[in-house]
Amino acid sequence: MSDLARRLAAYLAPRLGGARDVEVSGLDRIHGGASRETSRFVLRYEQDGRRVERRLILRRDPPGSLIETDRRVEYAAYRAFHGTAVPVPEALWLEEDPAPLDFPFFVMEELTGFESSVQALLAPPYLEHRAKIGRRKWTILGEIAKADPEKLGLVGLLAPVAADECWRRELAHWERVLDEDELEPQPVIRAVIRWLRRNPPPPAQKVGVVHADYRTGNFLFDRQGEVRAVLDWEMAHLGDPLEDLAWGLGAVWQWSRDGLAGSLLPKAEAIRIWEAASGLRAEPRALLWWELFSCVKGQGIWVSGGREFQAGSNHDSVLCLSSWMMGNSQDRAALMLLGHLT
Amino acid sequence: MKPEASHALERLMQALLAEVAPALQPAYRQASVAIQAMMVGAIREELDRAAARRVDENRALRRLFAEAAPVVEDAALRERVGAAAASADASLLVPELEAGNRALRSLLIELHAHVETLAGDAARRVEAAIWRELAASTERRKLALGPC
Repeated sequence: MSDLARRLAAYLAPRLGGARDVEVSGLDRIHGGASRETSRFVLRYEQDGRRVERRLILRRDPPGSLIETDRRVEYAAYRAFHGTAVPVPEALWLEEDPAPLDFPFFVMEELTGFESSVQALLAPPYLEHRAKIGRRKWTILGEIAKADPEKLGLVGLLAPVAADECWRRELAHWERVLDEDELEPQPVIRAVIRWLRRNPPPPAQKVGVVHADYRTGNFLFDRQGEVRAVLDWEMAHLGDPLEDLAWGLGAVWQWSRDGLAGSLLPKAEAIRIWEAASGLRAEPRALLWWELFSCVKGQGIWVSGGREFQAGSNHDSVLCLSSWMMGNSQDRAALMLLGHLT
Repeated sequence: MKPEASHALERLMQALLAEVAPALQPAYRQASVAIQAMMVGAIREELDRAAARRVDENRALRRLFAEAAPVVEDAALRERVGAAAASADASLLVPELEAGNRALRSLLIELHAHVETLAGDAARRVEAAIWRELAASTERRKLALGPC
């Protein structure tokens, strides 16, 4: 066992209800968890006379990341939605004390045999199931929008916000991220921010749970076109459900370059499915506001990742590549929405 | 004749993708090298155009400032916009062109915000010219791998 595996086993042993011979093996980092270091591992132990083997995921805070987030929120969101119409892996243990593994972390169930990457989605055998995956994706997003945060036990954990303040709070947050982290002037996004302030959206139809990063790449799908789990809840908050709908429709997720939202479905169909599942309406003017806001938020993410890379606090190359490639695409997406680029 | 830098970077990217990454374990290292190969590809794209796109953009911005200056109502801003229109790149070194570009784009943000508050056709024409320049700026920075 590596040192980290030994320490993880030592942490888990007293939490397994009398388990003996607790062993962690196969600790293997997974690429893509840019906000947290994500590793899979196998936990083995003996309990009540039988040998138990569990495949688990360790999500550990890195020194610097693409998104500065609250691990408690992410853990709580996984716990809240587990067993509901929104499929998620089961979150098992949260540790905020850095002593056991040097950084705060949580452990959750690993769901194996599924894919999440865009590359997989755009190749056989998944390619032919894109429309089905898309229908499930936006139906599940509608379920998230429909969910009652109070019944889920998330009120108190997620910061409250009034229906007419959702847009203002989110815009202020991401503008602050840009102010603090941008490495170069952002004339497109600054113009978008001014537009957003001049043209505020109507109040949210309801204040719901917003996943905030539910886009192609952040959910698991199988070979039959079923969505098996929604991942990466680290930015979850209470807010306007239109924020989630708009984020997933962004041109920056259209890797297939065929005009399909999220490389999955025509935009109008995705919206119809979401409306049917959520019981909410995506009024075009309000949706446009949130789509443009998504460009501000996206640029905030790319810019802060670029700063982390530049500062040397995180050497993950994806942060650098994203700030180059996605930063410009995000500007282009905003210009397209405003009719200044075709 | 010797191999061009862009050719060497292209070859390096291919080697990382086709030879180095597949031979690596665990999967995390393999994916990291694939990302680094994509970065090399982006650097190759940027290498050839690095000076040209900055020279072109700085020239376009100065031209825009020259057209916009008479429309600006704030005297201090008008003076700075006029001065920027009359400025020139001191060298063709990319870091110096970049520093000049950042200064011009910062001023563009101020000019854009100011013009939005003005009434009249002249202000609208300047505003439209700014949006055209912003669209052009994303064409200059476009990378082949980008989603849009």
